[in-house]
Amino acid sequence: MNWLRHPRLRLLARLILGLVFLGAALPKLADPPGFAKAIWAYELFPAWSLNPLALALPWLELFCGLALCFGLWWRAAALWVGALLLSFCLALTLNLARQHPVDCGCFGTSAPKTQAQRLADMRWTLLRDLGLLLLVVQVLLPAAPGRSPGRSRLGSGSRES
Amino acid sequence: MSAPRPTTLVRLLALAALAGLAALVSNWVAGPARRLAWRGSVVVPVPTMIVPPAREPAAPELAPLAGRESIVGKARVEVPRMQVPTLTPPAPAASAAPAPPEATVPIRELGSAEALAGFQAGWPFLDARRSAEFAEGHVRGAFCTSVWEADLEDRLIDFKAARHPGPGDPIIIYCSGGDCHDSHLLAEKLLAQGYFHLLIYRDGYPDWVALGRPTAKGAQP
Repeated sequence: MNWLRHPRLRLLARLILGLVFLGAALPKLADPPGFAKAIWAYELFPAWSLNPLALALPWLELFCGLALCFGLWWRAAALWVGALLLSFCLALTLNLARQHPVDCGCFGTSAPKTQAQRLADMRWTLLRDLGLLLLVVQVLLPAAPGRSPGRSRLGSGSRES
Repeated sequence: MSAPRPTTLVRLLALAALAGLAALVSNWVAGPARRLAWRGSVVVPVPTMIVPPAREPAAPELAPLAGRESIVGKARVEVPRMQVPTLTPPAPAASAAPAPPEATVPIRELGSAEALAGFQAGWPFLDARRSAEFAEGHVRGAFCTSVWEADLEDRLIDFKAARHPGPGDPIIIYCSGGDCHDSHLLAEKLLAQGYFHLLIYRDGYPDWVALGRPTAKGAQP
């Protein structure tokens, strides 16, 4: 199973995570009120926390995405990304459990959907987030023994800079 | 995976601090349409009830509301069995504006015909959608009062200065119909400011457009 900890696989996982989080951050940065509305729809957060979350979370996603792509502080970024993905999964699971359809809001606002479409989308989003969590685990796994640590930031990245 | 090293912990905090700092600066330089107040002003859904009427309305036409979902907040709350008056739309040729009915519940939903009757009577319309949507098209004469944008209070002040609504005067609020809740949130906000005759146009702007009613384009001056 050492191939699972191959540096090139880690690099690929890091780039995928980084690009996904960059893609998720940009539409939210462009429209914080829209993201606040998306968070509000989950009905999980107190009123005082909605706007600070909507303002700060996209920037955190952006910095984590950049860190993962460029291999700078990638371990801390992967830990943040893992925590964020866990919280997204939890929020989706709670709303699925109570059959409360919400727009994911993951990549900004989306077109209007029916409740059934929203619930179906939520299940797919949950699966996607779980898949991304597996990538986080892969990134955080120690490199396979015998593999030389990467020399460049965009290389294997087994040594955090 | 191993436990985070001290440097990783510092970097975790540094990333969060960077994000907070960037959010502060970007929100400071943002225009009103994409700025957010740091302290959230939107009502979070809580199980609230429609205030029952203080006394039975004298209006002859009554519509049962029992069994319907509460229009206040998003929580699934059953409204207690009670009777509320509905507006009767005026005849198309009616020249005199109908007198505003007495408010018996502070917030209630309004059908399409009633919204038109209110429009013909000159009741103010508040558009609770985003200002970009307002600019693309809105009910003619409506005020842009996006419940999610930071300048909501200023816009409400402009509205009050322009129309001088009394606490019991009817105000029609709309958003995008369907499961859009922005109009309900705005109604909650106005209710907290003392207004108690808030009428939510249930089917909202898409219905208004579909029925070919008067619209206008452009941002609020």
